Amino acid sequence: MRQTVDTRLRFTLNGAEVSLDAAAERTLLDVLRSDFGLNGPKYGCGMAQCGACTVLVDGAPARSCVLRAARVSGRRVTTLEGLADPDTGALHPVQRAFIEMQGAQCGYCLNGMVMTAVALLAREPAPDRARIREALRDNLCRCGTHVEIIASVERASALIAQDKPNA
Amino acid sequence: MPEPVHEPAPGMISVRDIVKGVEATFVQIDETGTATAFNGHVDLGTGISTALSQIVAEELDLTLDQVQVVLGDTRLTPDQGPTIASETIQVAAHPLRRAAAQLRLFLIGRAAQMLNADAARLEVHAGVVRSETDEITYGALVAGLDVVMRLDPDVPVKDPSDYRIVGRRTGRIDLPDKVTGRFGYIQDVRVPGMLHGHVVRPPYAGRDSGPFIGHSLIGYDEAAVRDMPGFVAVVREADFLGVVAQTEHQARAIAEALPVHWRQPPNLPPMGDLRHAIKTFPSTPRVLDTTGDFDRAIADCGIRLERHYVWPYHEHGSIGPSCAVADWNGGAPILWSGTQNPHMLRADMAQLLGLPPEVIDVRRLQAAGCYGRNCADDVCGDALLMARAVGVPVRVQLTREQEHLWEPKGAAQLMEVSGGIAADGDIGAYRLDSWYPSNRGPNLALLLTGLITPEPRPADMGDRTIIPPYRIPNKHITVHDMAPIVRAAWMRGVSALPNTFAHESFVDELAFEAGEDPVAFRLRHLDDPRVRELVLRTAEEGGWAERTGPRMRREGRMAYGQGFAYATYVHGTFPGTAAASSAWVCDVAVDTETGEVTLSRVFVGQDQGLVINPDGVLAQIRGNVIQTASRTLREEVTFDSIAPLPKSWAGYPIQTFDEVPEIATMLVERPGDPALGVGESAAVPAAAAIANAIFDATGVRLREAPFTPEKIRSALAAQQGGVALPPPPDGAPGRLARLFGRGRLAAAFGAIGGALTLGAVSLPIHSVIPASRAPAAETFSAETIERGRQVFAAGDCTVCHTAPGGLPNTGGRAMETPFGTVYSTNLTADPETGLGNWSYAAFDRAMRHGISRDGKNLYPVFPYTAFAKIDEGDMMALYAYLQTLTPISAPTPQAAMLAPVNLRAVNAGWNLLFHDARPFSPDPARSDDWNRGRYLVEGAGHCSACHSPRNALGAEKGGAAALTGAMVDGWWAPPLAGAAAGARGWTRDTLYAYLRDGHAPGIASAAGPMVEVIHSAQGLPDADIAAMATYLATLAEPGPVAAPVSAPVATPPVGEGARLFRAACASCHEPGLADGFTAAQVPLAKSMVLRAPESGPLRTLLREGIAAPLDLPLRDMPSFEGQFSPAQTDELITWLRARYVPDLPAWSDTPAAEVAAGR
Repeated sequence: MRQTVDTRLRFTLNGAEVSLDAAAERTLLDVLRSDFGLNGPKYGCGMAQCGACTVLVDGAPARSCVLRAARVSGRRVTTLEGLADPDTGALHPVQRAFIEMQGAQCGYCLNGMVMTAVALLAREPAPDRARIREALRDNLCRCGTHVEIIASVERASALIAQDKPNA
Repeated sequence: MPEPVHEPAPGMISVRDIVKGVEATFVQIDETGTATAFNGHVDLGTGISTALSQIVAEELDLTLDQVQVVLGDTRLTPDQGPTIASETIQVAAHPLRRAAAQLRLFLIGRAAQMLNADAARLEVHAGVVRSETDEITYGALVAGLDVVMRLDPDVPVKDPSDYRIVGRRTGRIDLPDKVTGRFGYIQDVRVPGMLHGHVVRPPYAGRDSGPFIGHSLIGYDEAAVRDMPGFVAVVREADFLGVVAQTEHQARAIAEALPVHWRQPPNLPPMGDLRHAIKTFPSTPRVLDTTGDFDRAIADCGIRLERHYVWPYHEHGSIGPSCAVADWNGGAPILWSGTQNPHMLRADMAQLLGLPPEVIDVRRLQAAGCYGRNCADDVCGDALLMARAVGVPVRVQLTREQEHLWEPKGAAQLMEVSGGIAADGDIGAYRLDSWYPSNRGPNLALLLTGLITPEPRPADMGDRTIIPPYRIPNKHITVHDMAPIVRAAWMRGVSALPNTFAHESFVDELAFEAGEDPVAFRLRHLDDPRVRELVLRTAEEGGWAERTGPRMRREGRMAYGQGFAYATYVHGTFPGTAAASSAWVCDVAVDTETGEVTLSRVFVGQDQGLVINPDGVLAQIRGNVIQTASRTLREEVTFDSIAPLPKSWAGYPIQTFDEVPEIATMLVERPGDPALGVGESAAVPAAAAIANAIFDATGVRLREAPFTPEKIRSALAAQQGGVALPPPPDGAPGRLARLFGRGRLAAAFGAIGGALTLGAVSLPIHSVIPASRAPAAETFSAETIERGRQVFAAGDCTVCHTAPGGLPNTGGRAMETPFGTVYSTNLTADPETGLGNWSYAAFDRAMRHGISRDGKNLYPVFPYTAFAKIDEGDMMALYAYLQTLTPISAPTPQAAMLAPVNLRAVNAGWNLLFHDARPFSPDPARSDDWNRGRYLVEGAGHCSACHSPRNALGAEKGGAAALTGAMVDGWWAPPLAGAAAGARGWTRDTLYAYLRDGHAPGIASAAGPMVEVIHSAQGLPDADIAAMATYLATLAEPGPVAAPVSAPVATPPVGEGARLFRAACASCHEPGLADGFTAAQVPLAKSMVLRAPESGPLRTLLREGIAAPLDLPLRDMPSFEGQFSPAQTDELITWLRARYVPDLPAWSDTPAAEVAAGR
């Protein structure tokens, strides 16, 4: 049997334990932006169509615009702000690669591209180009930066391999 | 949030000029040696801030990080007009370059003095001036000075051959902050004390002329929302309506709850035939070129063609809907904006507020890329009106739907061309008429408030690249200026793209008629050596294959072709200024069966003079290719009778990664020539190049964009003398309403589970049991009450006895029956309206025999036929538990019955025929667990009420038909018994998982009413759930479990349905990256709404979505209500059924099926 849900929502946000009240029915995107002041996840469509709001929940990509905050209770949420190494501040290889390969024009979709790429490379460290195109298929970019974004993900894959030569 | 504030410093040298009557600084340098450049244009996401930094750093010999760029702030930057027409580098950057050069000259002169050296022998690097013996920094040269210089237009600038920064690959200066989430877009502005506004727009979405504009709001009911959490104010000015609240979430909730009454807007002209709609709309011809004598010359041409080309409406489609923050600031407003045109916006806002422009401070931040005029300026008016009303800063974030519906569309365009080839083999005559129904998109707040009159406002931007680039002796070129039909404004390639679609398609057609190679034919008519070089080199390096007609290369069903097109983008007031010239060679593959066009490779040659940042130029070329390919191949705004249809990406699919072509580029190097704008040029040849490639592949000529699979199939069929595909099914709502109206639903005997429907459905024919105060809850033992709670949970009583939005268990939920609507009743212990005056005898009789305390028969929507199986102990316990419900007065609404029916006889006879009131008796041959499960399923759980089909009189069918699936309340309650249940993979374990959590991995996830049932069953112990699973597992007939369809058995036709699925559904149901936390948990091939016998349940699901209780491990699905037109919904559901349920026939209840059946 289940107990009724605690109205105080607790989860791990970018490594820190956080909690807040009265968030259950609001979207995680709203909570992250309004209550925690984060700018990484972006509002784009509110219907899981564009991917600009993507965050990781326990490492899995999630469209935070259709995810009610209560569903991350007790889970680990990572946003764009939480990708860098907390100790050294070193950027995640995917972030480094996007800078190196200039994977953005206006950059509004960039959050979704980076977070999705992080999730992809965590599962498949060496995807080929066709696989990258498929994995990013559900993330929309209106500027037409697709070529640079694909190159960024390929570069990130190489950087990860360099960082972990023996892995 | 980067807010550029530049405090006066101890040392400063600045270069200024008077711009439009206002003194403005272009470049300044302070005592730290940091230069700041001010430009009235803005960065639309194209990287212009990086390019401008390069220009200033180059002239001053600074490094990039020693240069700051301030763009678009009205306090700080000169008014250089709107950021349009690729003008920033070509026009707006010039004074920056001169000002930087002038600063350097001054600094060098001062350094020569201070170092006592010859100025000509000084060298500068990274802001350090060196003589042969000494050095000094710019900062030291500036310290203590306060010098203002007037911009000298003749100051010498650096020779391009000395460039060290300009022309080199330079990383975007804003990217490191963007990739870490530190960057502040307009959407990220947070001002202390800020409130949130949400606008309520009129029903005339996307309209901007007609007397109804600003005069359609009848009224609204503020009292209905005043008590909602966070409410601050409702703000109204004529047709402007907005809600201000404490949080964004609250503002939206209040705005959506606010009752508003609008007048019905008048219809649009029919937009289905765009050519007719545009041509019959009022317009004024403006003749632009009458070289020679067209009429005489065309008569002499041996080969003559007359063609027309149609370009559709497009969404600019910024990924981020527009946002603004406004602070009224005591009448000197501060406005944070993502505008494309800060100074123009300031003038509009001054008019809106009745203030002088100079008191308004517009601070520009980057927004999502806009490619033209979106809602960025409109939302500023919204924010200012609300901020003025409440006196504190207000942020307004438009929704995706508001942005899609209201953005001024990229304008449609009609081009009619006639021309011919003279006796000498050259193009002898060329006439083009172009209709461009667009203007500059007047600010929406001005229109809604009635501050500007809503008369049609033509503009004159249809003339870009309207003169064909070829040597033609007799021309007659006319643009027909006209007001918008729907709100429209400039979009990337403004009118030049459609005009070039016409020019470059027509020239290709002429080359074919002349039997010449299309590139050679063009070159024969080109004189400008720069253009000739571009065309020639692009053809050579792009792998152009010479031909004198369509080659129609085939491999099986695939046809392959290559196309060429070229254009110089000409912008500004006619005759205009040339930006960069671009040429395309592109390859397509056409699937001749499905009509799909794949753009496989694009080679772009471009001549932009001096290249500032090669990376930036290449990014603009690739962006133009990908975006314009999408516009050409798939994008089109459609309309209903009043407004645009697309409300999200679902109804307006755009480019995705899996469709991106291979792109190769060739930049013509011309460092000695002025830099030309590159923001739009590579877009301009796109449509013609693709059309020409399709012609080469198939011999079919497409003259109306977008080139959808339907159009290709239709054109191919016509080419083969075949019959074109039938037109799309008529999606008139009337037809759907007929299909899914009351009659059909009623026949489905709609009822969710157990409604204790005590509504007056009949006259009393049984004895009245006198009112008797029910015993107090305290008189029962805790064990009894707990047992009753479990029976209550097993019976899902709350589900039916709670109205939408009402208090739990107080009834009032409407239940549709064939005889009318009855309402569930109040179960609380309230004596007047609830069960407070019901004795146990009255309760027991109602539960087992369907007879109310007052003697009236209960309609069998209340499943007393199941509840009769409940044993005595459980029934008493249930009665006891009900007494613990806090009494709440809630009268049951009066039943609304249809034609008078004598239900006495019906009900009495019905019970005689169908009601078996004997209590449950266990099967001794079975286990206790099994018997317990059966007792729960057949008794309190009343599963059969939904899952068993019913006979014509509404009774559940028994025997082999029991629990074999039924339609309920627009949903499909799938089979629990028989082979169908077995094929689904139901076992004791999977059933347990499903009943416990609502989710059996790989098999099923609860949706619709079943979500509430599962939620209610949370109150049951695991043992009872296990018992039900044990029993139900024995009902499923063992058999092979159908494997989920991973690849379609039969590929359904590529068309609207497939496109809608990809844009609206695939990110969750067929994601490119599996195991997403918000993705669907069960494959669509297992979906019971797709396997239902009719399409109704799928329609219900699309309308309602899924918002499962938060304590169940289920996933939500957004509602798609209003996202699709009726015709689109039909396309989508027909495709889904064909794609994922190939083993079952197509639904017979869609309009397409009706057409097929000749109905």
